Amino acid sequence: MYNVEADGLIKRYGANEALGGVSFRVGAGEIFGVIGPDGAGKTSMFRILTTLILPDGGSARVLGMDVVRNYRDIRTRIGYMPGRFSLYQDLSVEENIHFFATLFGTSFEENYGMVKDIYSHLEPFRKRKAGALSGGMKQKLALSCALIHKPEVLFLDEPTTGVDPVSRKEFWTMLGRLRDQGLSIIVSTPYMDEATLCDRIALIRKGRFLDTDTPSGIISKFTLPLFAVSGQHMPSLLRDIRRIPNVLSCFAFGDRHHVVLEDRGLSTEAYADALGTALYAMGHTDVVIERISPCVEDCYMYLDTLEERS
Amino acid sequence: MSIGKQTIQHIRELMLRPEEPFLREGEVIRTDGLTKRFGKFTAVDHISFSVKKGEIFGFLGANGAGKTTAMKMLCGLSRPTEGRAVVAGYDLRHNSEVKRIKKVIGYMSQKFSLYDDLRVWENIRLFGGIYGMKDKDIARKTDELLQRLGLEEQRNRMVRSLPLGWKQRLAFSVAIFHEPKIVFLDEPTGGVDPATRRGFWEMIYDAAERGITVFVTTHYMDEAEYCDRVSIMVDGRIEALDAPSELKRCYGAANMDEVFRILAGKAQREE
Amino acid sequence: MSFVGKEFDHILRDTRTLMVLLVMPVVMIVLFGFALSTEIKDVKVAVLDPSRDAATTRIVSQIDASEYFTVTAFLDSEEGLLEAFRSNAADIAIVFEDNFHHRAVHDGDGRLQVIVDGSNTNVGSMAVFYVSSIVSSYQRELAQEAALSGTGSADMQPRISTVTRMMYNPQMKSAFNFVPGVMGMILMLVCAMMTSVSIVREKERGTMEVLLVSPVKPFSVILAKAIPYFVVSAFILLLVLCLSVFLIKVPISGSLLWVILVSLLFILVSLSIGILISTLVSKQEVAILISGMVLMLPTMLLSGMLFPVESMPEVLQWISYCVPAKWYIDSIKVMMIQGLGIRYCLDAVLILCGFLALFTGLSVIKFKDRL
Repeated sequence: MYNVEADGLIKRYGANEALGGVSFRVGAGEIFGVIGPDGAGKTSMFRILTTLILPDGGSARVLGMDVVRNYRDIRTRIGYMPGRFSLYQDLSVEENIHFFATLFGTSFEENYGMVKDIYSHLEPFRKRKAGALSGGMKQKLALSCALIHKPEVLFLDEPTTGVDPVSRKEFWTMLGRLRDQGLSIIVSTPYMDEATLCDRIALIRKGRFLDTDTPSGIISKFTLPLFAVSGQHMPSLLRDIRRIPNVLSCFAFGDRHHVVLEDRGLSTEAYADALGTALYAMGHTDVVIERISPCVEDCYMYLDTLEERS
Repeated sequence: MSIGKQTIQHIRELMLRPEEPFLREGEVIRTDGLTKRFGKFTAVDHISFSVKKGEIFGFLGANGAGKTTAMKMLCGLSRPTEGRAVVAGYDLRHNSEVKRIKKVIGYMSQKFSLYDDLRVWENIRLFGGIYGMKDKDIARKTDELLQRLGLEEQRNRMVRSLPLGWKQRLAFSVAIFHEPKIVFLDEPTGGVDPATRRGFWEMIYDAAERGITVFVTTHYMDEAEYCDRVSIMVDGRIEALDAPSELKRCYGAANMDEVFRILAGKAQREE
Repeated sequence: MSFVGKEFDHILRDTRTLMVLLVMPVVMIVLFGFALSTEIKDVKVAVLDPSRDAATTRIVSQIDASEYFTVTAFLDSEEGLLEAFRSNAADIAIVFEDNFHHRAVHDGDGRLQVIVDGSNTNVGSMAVFYVSSIVSSYQRELAQEAALSGTGSADMQPRISTVTRMMYNPQMKSAFNFVPGVMGMILMLVCAMMTSVSIVREKERGTMEVLLVSPVKPFSVILAKAIPYFVVSAFILLLVLCLSVFLIKVPISGSLLWVILVSLLFILVSLSIGILISTLVSKQEVAILISGMVLMLPTMLLSGMLFPVESMPEVLQWISYCVPAKWYIDSIKVMMIQGLGIRYCLDAVLILCGFLALFTGLSVIKFKDRL
C-alpha cells in the first residue's frame, strides 16, 4: 500500500508539455525528493497530486483515492505548501495558523501537538504580521499551517528556495522528524545538496524523470572515473581541462573542478597521471588531482548531458 | 612681527600636501562605518570593507542579515544613515555624485532583469540606451554579444519564450553591456539546473578578467567558493571577511557551507 | 464564520483603502453639492421690455437693486434673447408684455415671463424664486396705491402673473439628480472592484491554492468575501444618504425603506459582478482595469447620471439598457426625487433582480474548484 501512486502523468499547456509521463510510488514514512531546475514540471506535478489541476494523461492516487474522482476526500487528508509561501501577509502569525486550522474544521489547540516542534520557533513572534517575518520564519509558519490538520501526506513545493542555508538545515531536520512520525512527504527542491536528505529522489528534467532511486542508488550508477582538480588559477584551469581530449565534462564544484573522464578501464593512478601530464603541458604546474566519488549533482549533470545528446 | 621663514614653508607644505584619498589605489568600493537604521531597527550596523578592481566579491548572509539593504546603499538607491562609502570614485554622501554612480554600475537580480514582452535585441538596445550609449555602438556590440552567447538565431525572439538559463545569461550580459566598473548581482542563479548555473559563473569569471568588479549575493554555498573574497553578514554586521580558503582554515571547516553555518548560527536577532 | 472574520481583518487592516472607500463618497457628495451651490449672487439679467412704463421700470430697478441680480442688457427683440444666453451675457431674462402697466393695473392681468438657462437648474430655480418675490411685493405696492387713490374698482385688483420658461432643459430636471448617480457609481465601485480585487489577490498570492486544497467549499470562500463588502457598502450607502439629506438637503420624498431596499439589491448585483470578474481573471491589475473600464465608465456615461439617456443616439441607448446602474439610478430618482412609490419603478427593480440572477448564475458556472 503506497500513499502516493502516479502512473504516466502528462500535463500540457498549449503546445508546451510540462509533464511527459512521470510515474512513481511513495510509501508511508518516506521523504520523496523531486529534484530539478525551475520549469522542469515540478509544480505541475504537485498541482495534479493536490487535485488543483487535472492531468491530460495518466492517473494518480493519493491514499488510495483517485485525484480526479475523489478529490474532495483527498483534500481533507493532505497538507500542501505551494511554491511561494502562501500566507496572509496582513494577518499575524497566530491569526494565520488559527485561520488555517478552522479551514480544516479543527482548532489550533486541538492539534498543537502536531506542530509544537515547529511552532515553538515562532512563539516569540506570534503577534507579528506574517509579511514582516524573515524568509526562514515564513517558511516555518507555512509548514505549521500545512500541518495543522494532521495530514497523512505532505506536499511541499520548493519550500527551501531563497532561504538561507541555516534555515534550510533546520527545515530538513523538522522534515526528518515528521517522516519518523509516519508522514509521507513529497518535496521538490532546486538545491542538489538537499538530495541526500531524502529517502528516495527523482531527478526531473523537462517534464521527465531522468532517474528515480535512493540517493546512494543514483550515485552508485555513476561509474565513470571522476576526479577533483584544483590549482593556482581556477578559471584558466577549467578552460584548459576541457581541451583535453578524453575529458567528457568539467565543471567547477566549490573550490575544485570535477572532471569526468572516458572510461578506459585504467587504474586511478593512470588516469591521474594522464590528466596531470596534459595539464603540465599547458603550463599548470601545481595542480592537485584526486579521485573522488560522485555526489548527486554530478549524477544530475551527467544524466542531463546524456539526455541532451540523445 | 615676523613669521619665520620656516613656519611659512611649513604651512605651504601642509596646504599643498594632497589629502589622502578615501578610496585607495586599486579599490573600487570602500565603506567606513556604513550604517542604515529604520526607526529603532539597525539593518546595517557600521560595516567597513573594501573591494578591489576586478575582484569577485561574495556578499553572504542569512535572510534578513542586512545584505539587501547594504547593497541598495551601494547602488545609490538608499541613503546611509551614518558612515561613509565611495563607490567607483563617487561619494555616497553627495547627492550629485550618487546620480553618477548609476552610470558606472550594472545591476541584475533574479526577480527583475529583462522585459519579458520585448525581443532579445530590443532589450539590449533599451538598456544600452538607458546608459547613454550611441546607437552605432549598441548595434555593433549587440552583434558581438549575441554571437558570444550563441543567441544570433534568437535575436528576434520574445524574451518570455527563452529558457530561464538563457534569460539569466542574457540578463547578465545586458547588465554589463555598458562596461560598468562594478556589477551587482542579487542572487543571480536561483532555480536553474547545475550545468547552467556553472555556465553562468564562467561568464562572471570572464567579466572579472575584463576588469569588471563583481559584487554577488547567493544562497548556494559552493558558489561562495568561486569568489575571490567573501564577506558574511550576521545581524547587520560583517562577521567575517576573507578568501574562502582562509575562512575555511580559520574556522576549521571543510567547506563554505560549514563556515556559513558556524557564523550565521550566532545570529541573535530575528529579521 | 471565522472566514468572514478574517475578511473583516483584511479590510480593516488596510486602513488606507478603507479610508479611500469612506472618504470618496463624502468628497464626491460635498463636491457636487458645492459645485451646484444653491447660493446665488450677481445673476446676470437681460430685460426685454417693449412697454417701458412706470411699472416695468420700477420692477427692473428693484431687481437691479437686489444683491442677487445685475441687469446687464436691455433687449429689443426676442432674437436678441437667444444671443444673450449663448454669449453668456445673461443667466436669466425677464420679458414684459406690451403695455404692461396698463394691463396690470386696469385689466388686472399684467404678464411677465422669466426665462431661465436650464442647464444650471439650481441657479435657475433660485432666480425664479427671487424674481417672483420682488414682483409680488411690487404687486402689493400697486394694490395699496390703487386702494389709496381709489382708482381701482373692488373687483379689479392689479395683478401680475409670472410665467417661468426653461431654455435647454424644458423639464427642469432637478440638480439633485446627481445624488442617485453618485450612489450608483460608488456602490458599483466598492462592491465590484473591491470584491474582485480581494479574491484575485488571493489567487495572485497563492493563498487561493491552499484554500482550494482544503475541504472548504469554494462557494463559502466567495460568500465569505462578499459579506464584509456587503456590510461596508451598506455603511457607505447610509453615509451617502445622510450626507445628501443633511448636507445638501436633497429631499427624500419617497419611501426611505424602499430606497434602502433597492439600494441593497443593487449592492448584491454589484457584488455578483465583482465575483464574476474574479472568476475570469487572475491578475489584480486586470481586475481593476475591467471593473474600472467596463463598469465605471458606462456607469458614469451611460446610466443617465451625467447625460440624459433619452437624448443619446439609439445605439447607445440600447447599450445603456445593459448597464445595471442605469436601472438603479432610474428607480432611485423615481423614489427619492420624484417621490413616487415603488410601483412606478417596478420594472427597473425587476430588471435588477434579473441581472442579479444572471451574474450569480454565471459565476457559479464559471467558478472552478480547481486552479
